Amino acid sequence: MKDIKILIVDDEENIRILFKEELEEEGYKIDLASNGYEALEKIKKSPFDLVVLDIKMPGMDGIQTLNEIKKINKDQHVILCSAYGEFKQDFSSWISDAYVVKSADTEELKSTIKSILKA
Amino acid sequence: MNAVELLGEVIEISHSNLEINSRISAILNIISHRMGFEEVLVFKLDKDRRISCSYYNQNCSLFSLVNKYRCHIGEGIIGTIAQKRVPQYFTYKDIPPRFGCIFYHELDGLIGRYRSFAFVPLSDDSYIYGVMAAISTVKGELNDREKILLSVIAREIGGLIRIEDLMVSSKKRISELVTLSELGKILTTNMEPEAALKNIVFIIAKALNASMSTIRLNNFSSRFNTQRFTYGQPDPKLERFIEDLETQAINTKKTVLLSNEMYGDDKDLSQYFLCSSPIITKNKAIGALTICSIKKDLVFDQSDNISYLITTIANYISSGLENILLSKRLKDVITELNDTQKRVIEQEKLKSLGEMTANIAHEIKNPLVIIGGFTKRLAKRMNLSQTENRYASIIINEVARLEKILNEVLDYVKDSPVSKEPCNINTCLDDILYLFSSDSSWERVKIVKNYDSELPEIICDIQQIKQVFINILVNSYEAMQGEGEITIRTEVVKIDNKSYIKVSISDTGGGIDPMAIDNIFNPFFTTKEKGTGLGLAISNKIIMNNKGKIEVENNVGKGVTFFVYLPLENNLSKEE
Repeated sequence: MKDIKILIVDDEENIRILFKEELEEEGYKIDLASNGYEALEKIKKSPFDLVVLDIKMPGMDGIQTLNEIKKINKDQHVILCSAYGEFKQDFSSWISDAYVVKSADTEELKSTIKSILKA
Repeated sequence: MNAVELLGEVIEISHSNLEINSRISAILNIISHRMGFEEVLVFKLDKDRRISCSYYNQNCSLFSLVNKYRCHIGEGIIGTIAQKRVPQYFTYKDIPPRFGCIFYHELDGLIGRYRSFAFVPLSDDSYIYGVMAAISTVKGELNDREKILLSVIAREIGGLIRIEDLMVSSKKRISELVTLSELGKILTTNMEPEAALKNIVFIIAKALNASMSTIRLNNFSSRFNTQRFTYGQPDPKLERFIEDLETQAINTKKTVLLSNEMYGDDKDLSQYFLCSSPIITKNKAIGALTICSIKKDLVFDQSDNISYLITTIANYISSGLENILLSKRLKDVITELNDTQKRVIEQEKLKSLGEMTANIAHEIKNPLVIIGGFTKRLAKRMNLSQTENRYASIIINEVARLEKILNEVLDYVKDSPVSKEPCNINTCLDDILYLFSSDSSWERVKIVKNYDSELPEIICDIQQIKQVFINILVNSYEAMQGEGEITIRTEVVKIDNKSYIKVSISDTGGGIDPMAIDNIFNPFFTTKEKGTGLGLAISNKIIMNNKGKIEVENNVGKGVTFFVYLPLENNLSKEE
């Protein structure tokens, strides 16, 4: 299986580590960014199969980052991930592939990633 | 008897400060004592043109016999004198058989005593006020001096009666004005309408000395619990006429009096006064004021044109009532505004409380995810004993419980979720078109509506659906560069046995480049310089969420038609 590259964008370090370790166990190659700007830099440098994007971040938030990512590559798969579903009603979040509420149980995130990559 | 002295006394009394009736009585006493007439009576002509005995001298014995009778002008001696305005003198030999309206034999035993009679009209140059009768038991035929003296005194008495009449009418006028001013005071206070109307009927009844006054209002305002405001009791015999009279007054917008035709043969009713006057605002009769009384009890008798006074009062009430209701409405509006303001502040408080809760919950969520996530990893990585494994799963379960609580709290405090409710797509479209029609840049866009008026309602989030139509219409507008025709059609169609509402929106904007047509629903695809490329992508997503679909028909060189299908069945997806 060729390497599947996933970028995790979250301002909380321990969340990044948790997701990284959980997803690496699934066999994905993980890169990390602690904010929107860093994420955009990395996406510009090398393509990712998927971006897991936190919404509530200082500076550029996830929705803005999402818009910028889509300008770079409109086909980029993005999963929005936040503490709760407050942005579900927001039109602008709909251009993401999925919306996952953060949880200690990472099964939903994993299965969402699988279904997106399969499609 | 010194005539000059006598006349001097009469004039002195006539010009004194005594009450008018005392002055007249005093003059009559002088005639009696100084001229030798035992009986001196003054018969006064009243407003009904009837004559009755009103004044008499001190030792007069005839008054008790004649005071009940009211004779007409021309009836008997008294009536004849009043008619002809010429004095007449008789002795017991030539006195005619009728004295006023009374026949002689009714005065039997008394009249026989009298020898001489003088009847003198009380008049000035233009008007007759009554007749004076001077009767003596001792005198024979009167001499010329006595006749002239009586005429001069009669003229003086006539003058006094005239003054009295003037005073009575000015008193009435003052009383009218006082009544109107009292009403004015009520109508200009901030009194509640109910209280004001209760006071008004009270004042009118008191001012007119009427047995009842009542105001009826015809479905005037839902504010009033009762539609009738009454003071006093109507005479039972009149009760059945009141409503008829009110209705008549309201229908004709004119003041109506109880008339002979209405009560028919019941002569007893003629003693009553019943009058109804319409209350008119903005040329509409909204009710009536009705006064009920026994005629003789009324402060103003009928010749005073009391119906005119009642009409005036009713008019007064009309304008005042309008003011009272306006100020009442104003008060209500202010109260409502204050309440709204309070509610808004309350809501703001709740909202900021909600925001605070949301923030706290949000801040807790991340650490919780970290604790739970790593505990899981820990448990997975290490070879834990049964006990340690149990401890780890307790932590994991408790974290899951806390997460669940947090999610519930956040669901509760965040803005109310989009509401799905029955809505009519035609109305929704009209609402949007109304918005556009108020925008002058849409002036040159002709909108052709082709609605199915029987269109059923569907359950959806109308705000989102509106967003879709707005996106499509704005695209059309821009494609036509602000000038052209947009046709909107609504109908119900069946696709695979399922019913849909189909909305077709066609423009005359020349259509879409065939190269671009496949991309129009993709995010960030745009042909506009300043477009975001999100409009149709979002629209597509909204309609898909509502289990519908958007299709486009492209006529290059002509225009574009968008078809929006929304399912009729209430099986819309929940947004998960």
